[in-house]
Amino acid sequence: MFNYLYRKTSLLLFISFGITAFAFSLYYLFPGDLLTNMTGITNITEENYQFLADKYKINESIITQYLAFLERLYQGDWGVSINTGDSIYQLIFNLLPATIELALYALIYSFIVAIPFGVLSASESHPWLDKGILSLSLIGFSMPIFWLALIITFIFSISLGWFPTSGRLSLVYDIPPETGFILIDILISDVPYKAEAFSDALEHLAIPTFVLAAYPTTVLIRSTRQSMKSVMQKSYIKAARAKGLSTWQVLKRHGLRNGLLPVIQTLGIHFGTLITLAMVTEVIFAWPGLGALLVDAIHQRDFTTIQGGLLVISALVFLATILFDVLYMIFDPLARIRGHGKI
Amino acid sequence: MRLLDIRNLNIELLNLDQPVKAVESVNFSMYPSEVSGLIGESGSGKSLIAKALVGVLNNRWQVTADRFHFMGQDLNKMSMQKRKKIISENIAMIYQEPRRCLDPTSNIFSQLEESLPESYHSGWFNSKKKERVRKCIALLHKVGIKNHNEVFHSYPHMLSEGVCQKIMIAMAIAKQPKLLIADEPTTALESSTSLQVIKLLRSLNQLKDMAVIFITHNLNSITSWADTINVMYCGQLIESSSTKKILTAPKHPYTKALFDSEPDLSEQQNKNRTKLYALKGTIPTLQHLPIGCRLGPRCPNAQKACVIIPEPKKIKGQTFRCHYPLNIKELK
Repeated sequence: MFNYLYRKTSLLLFISFGITAFAFSLYYLFPGDLLTNMTGITNITEENYQFLADKYKINESIITQYLAFLERLYQGDWGVSINTGDSIYQLIFNLLPATIELALYALIYSFIVAIPFGVLSASESHPWLDKGILSLSLIGFSMPIFWLALIITFIFSISLGWFPTSGRLSLVYDIPPETGFILIDILISDVPYKAEAFSDALEHLAIPTFVLAAYPTTVLIRSTRQSMKSVMQKSYIKAARAKGLSTWQVLKRHGLRNGLLPVIQTLGIHFGTLITLAMVTEVIFAWPGLGALLVDAIHQRDFTTIQGGLLVISALVFLATILFDVLYMIFDPLARIRGHGKI
Repeated sequence: MRLLDIRNLNIELLNLDQPVKAVESVNFSMYPSEVSGLIGESGSGKSLIAKALVGVLNNRWQVTADRFHFMGQDLNKMSMQKRKKIISENIAMIYQEPRRCLDPTSNIFSQLEESLPESYHSGWFNSKKKERVRKCIALLHKVGIKNHNEVFHSYPHMLSEGVCQKIMIAMAIAKQPKLLIADEPTTALESSTSLQVIKLLRSLNQLKDMAVIFITHNLNSITSWADTINVMYCGQLIESSSTKKILTAPKHPYTKALFDSEPDLSEQQNKNRTKLYALKGTIPTLQHLPIGCRLGPRCPNAQKACVIIPEPKKIKGQTFRCHYPLNIKELK
């Protein structure tokens, strides 16, 4: 077990090197002045230039520059945005919780919806249910997310008026940002309109979460169905049935654990796609997150922000992948011995 | 009173173009604490009968029987739930690939523990758990596993097939069943371990009064301890009688062929270097069964009457399906 964790951590080391080396190379790959790309300051004066050149070590070898870059990353000195002049570190880590919040809730939602549906459609006694769920999931799978978002907004926000169209919280409520996670912030704040603010935040969350969850839900339904179907045919399930366990007991003790193992892996694989879709969702619903920031930065050629955003998002995806792998290992004793040479 | 009494058992496979009868009108009965051997080539339907008895066939199979009595109760007249309850409490089964019948992701203790019957043990929560742990340890000791702590915390992939089969037996006897069905329990094991398993089953049969249906295609492993032997061919029970009778005077040509094809390793045989005996041809597929007697095309003494399906006949407790049975004169 510790051997496995050690292997995963050493993998983390190599991948962090890859990510940081790529981010560092962007200084040279982006058009424009090298020092501007590094600092984010557009009009550098003569006396400032010398100071910054020393600080960023641009006259020394590439390796020294890279090491200095790592040191700055560690210290939180990520430069400033070319367009606004704000500190990128501050900017990104203020917005990151919003993105994580959206992706996490969508993931939880898709888990809650997809696993029962997947298990149901795998059961042999209801073939009609299987067909219904499968065709619904096919629709969800093939529908472009921005189109789905617009349709849902049109129906539930504009026609019916049940949910707000965009944003994270109504401007009426003023919640001091503590953690960045809006629901937690509301809960720990001591404002008199706590309950109202909380329900308002939930209303704002509803449509973006649903839209973002469409993709992972369908993927999860299909993979759950597939693996449950094969697991329920296994000899140990039949043996467990012959022992006299009820259908629910068989499912709980043997079926689900074995059936959901490949699902965890699928989820790890699709986490990158989920983050990409979260960016699109953020742009559509004016959700103040990292994705929206990154898309704006790309439009405005804000190179320093692009670099910082890429660094954080790729690190996020990678950490999530490792997390899912470790989860997989905890549940599957076979993964612990087969872990060699596997990412 | 008979422990198990089945009349006219049919098992059909439904999901083909037309239903195929994999097992046809089998009559099977046994007395309590009896050992009954079920012998046949692979594909003859012996495992199917076992699976149908325990009720683990999926819904592609249709099982029908005119009579299905177990311990004097008519299971055919009961609801599914009640039948399942009676069966799971009284019939246990062990399989030919023990490791594949253990859940790979949970450890041995939890799997062994869940096969213990729900006890109405009063007392603290903790004492109940201790009681169950003690029972599990006792079960493992009973099947000859001494290092129970190591085995408890192992997963199936860490153990050998032999140990896995012993664990399966431990699970099977946890509920103290009246009937144990052993579906080729020794095929995946090497000979010394398989001998241990057979000895274990034998002692359980003698000490616990547990009836055993031993399914096998290896004659040597069964003839020494079975009370009755049933021979299957192509989904039909072609001969069944007591072991002694079937060994000395088999009635059906197939039974005789089966016993003759067993290589005789005595010195005499080795000196003479005779050819190993085998029936000509192969076992027909279920879609292309011959009309009449199923053995007909392969039978060494088939005659004109064999194009009509022989009905089961009974002579002195020996049931067989053959128009021209062997060894009749000797009995007279």
